[in-house]
Amino acid sequence: MTKSKTIKVDYLARVEGEGALYIRYDDGGVHDVKLKIFEPPRFFEGFMRGRDYLEAPDITARICGICPVAYQMSSLHAMEDALGLTPTPELHALRRLIYCGEWIESHTLHIYMLHAPDFLGYPSAVAMAKDHPQIVQDGLQIKKAGNAIVNLLGGREVHPINVRVGGFYRVPTATELEPLREQLLKARDMAAATVRWAASLPFPDFERSVENQYEFVALSNEREYPMSCGRIASTRGLDIPVQEYDTHFREEHVEYSNALHSVLIERGAYFVGPMARYNLNYDRLSPLVRQTAEDIGFPPFCVNPFKSIVVRSLEVLYAFDEALRIIDNYRQPDTPYLVTEPRPSTGCAATEAPRGILYHRYSMDEEGKITDAKIVAPTSQNQKTIEDDLRLMLPKFLHLPEDKLQAQCEQAIRNYDPCISCSTHFLQLHMERRAREGQ
Amino acid sequence: MTDWAIISLGNRYRGDDGVGPFVLQRLRDRFGNSVDCIENSGDMTRLLEDWRDRHVCLVDAVSAEEREAGDIVLLDGLAEPMPPSLCGTSSHGFSLAEALELGRLFDSLPRRLAIYAICGENFANSAALSPAVEAAAVNVEKEILHLLTEQTGGPRCTNSP
Repeated sequence: MTKSKTIKVDYLARVEGEGALYIRYDDGGVHDVKLKIFEPPRFFEGFMRGRDYLEAPDITARICGICPVAYQMSSLHAMEDALGLTPTPELHALRRLIYCGEWIESHTLHIYMLHAPDFLGYPSAVAMAKDHPQIVQDGLQIKKAGNAIVNLLGGREVHPINVRVGGFYRVPTATELEPLREQLLKARDMAAATVRWAASLPFPDFERSVENQYEFVALSNEREYPMSCGRIASTRGLDIPVQEYDTHFREEHVEYSNALHSVLIERGAYFVGPMARYNLNYDRLSPLVRQTAEDIGFPPFCVNPFKSIVVRSLEVLYAFDEALRIIDNYRQPDTPYLVTEPRPSTGCAATEAPRGILYHRYSMDEEGKITDAKIVAPTSQNQKTIEDDLRLMLPKFLHLPEDKLQAQCEQAIRNYDPCISCSTHFLQLHMERRAREGQ
Repeated sequence: MTDWAIISLGNRYRGDDGVGPFVLQRLRDRFGNSVDCIENSGDMTRLLEDWRDRHVCLVDAVSAEEREAGDIVLLDGLAEPMPPSLCGTSSHGFSLAEALELGRLFDSLPRRLAIYAICGENFANSAALSPAVEAAAVNVEKEILHLLTEQTGGPRCTNSP
């Protein structure tokens, strides 16, 4: 008769948010994978209604303590889209600079504190730090440089307050940016060393079969590696302006989760984040980053999600390189922000948060009161792909002892650096193994 | 940088999780620039820099089933173990307990760490503070004000004559 086996983990560490993952499988395969998110979703969208359009960047920045700049950027670009406003190149560069700071902060936190322990066999960054203190200290130093960028441009390190629709409340002088340059130069060297270190980690061997290839989706534009503008492109030919997002993407409610799963209409799951950006925009990385990737033998197109830690490290290197380029070419904007006048309108924008595309759409009335808001976070877009990864990779790892199998599943989830607080808080993992009848 | 710092953890737009920022804002209004008031919304690694070699009052919300909303738990963060309910709060996968452990490893600890943990009951986005939690917040504000007045001479007038 049935010989069942259950693996149950009540707390999946190093993932932000509250939810659970349930996997049911037997020797014949994986039968059920459900990523559950418990937190009541979408309150922020309702919370925004009736607020002034100028408040959107500061309010939505509170959705996440790790990527507030992304929320600010998507909301203000959406408002500017509604008002037909295009920021000047100088303001665009400054926005890009603060986004570099956030990519550095967020990616470095994930690389060193959350993901690296998986590869080195430690249950936590603290345990890893006892044996490898220099690794963790390097990570903290690199992250500090990212904090410095956000602090200078945003007015403070957490929840920047200097960003506004139309530009900034205050822009820095070239002299104010100069001290940052020295710090970034040193940190860029450390970031290059991080790439080499990350590439030396032991990676589980996992690639999807031809019929289950990922559809990577990211912003793409001809001028630059995408951060705050571009068309939405995919590895299966999607190439649309952001304004057509709602025509091509749909959010589906699944019974077991409060978060909506985002899918490509008639195609299903897709993959956003660093790997998608990298695969679709490799040629727009700086020469230093492409050369570094080449030096470590890392391909321009990566399909092993466990190697996302290398891609993140390359993006950190890029963010330093780009930040330095922006500082070296800095021209102080004539005016810190473009004046805006509200009008009845609807606008949308997608920017590249550290974890992938972050889509915002707002409508406002003639007084600039927000009448409707829609926010689609990267993690809700990746949820279905995370589930599919687990479904597809588990058969390959069933020979592993249960504790190792469980660790492999957790590591696979962390490949996506999921921020469940953004998508709707705490991940609990439940795995149930059932032997087939007669065994 | 001041010798004393007040640090809040939590998100002001998530119901009772916002009690830390709520207390911080009230104390910032009292102390002006004479005490650093630092709002931390989830990145615990920042604590290593923010609290190093300083005297710190840290205010956070906790969810503890065995306690009533509005209960205040005062802990000596350097001497007492962190209760589990303070280990998993709004940390992006990295907890206050881990920040303390890393601080010990890297010699980045505060000289004093008074943790004011206020028990909450409603952590929903956009919810207001629960009445019991708001009342507790006012008491914590008074306690910190009293402590800092004893230690630093209290709030200074920052207005120019």
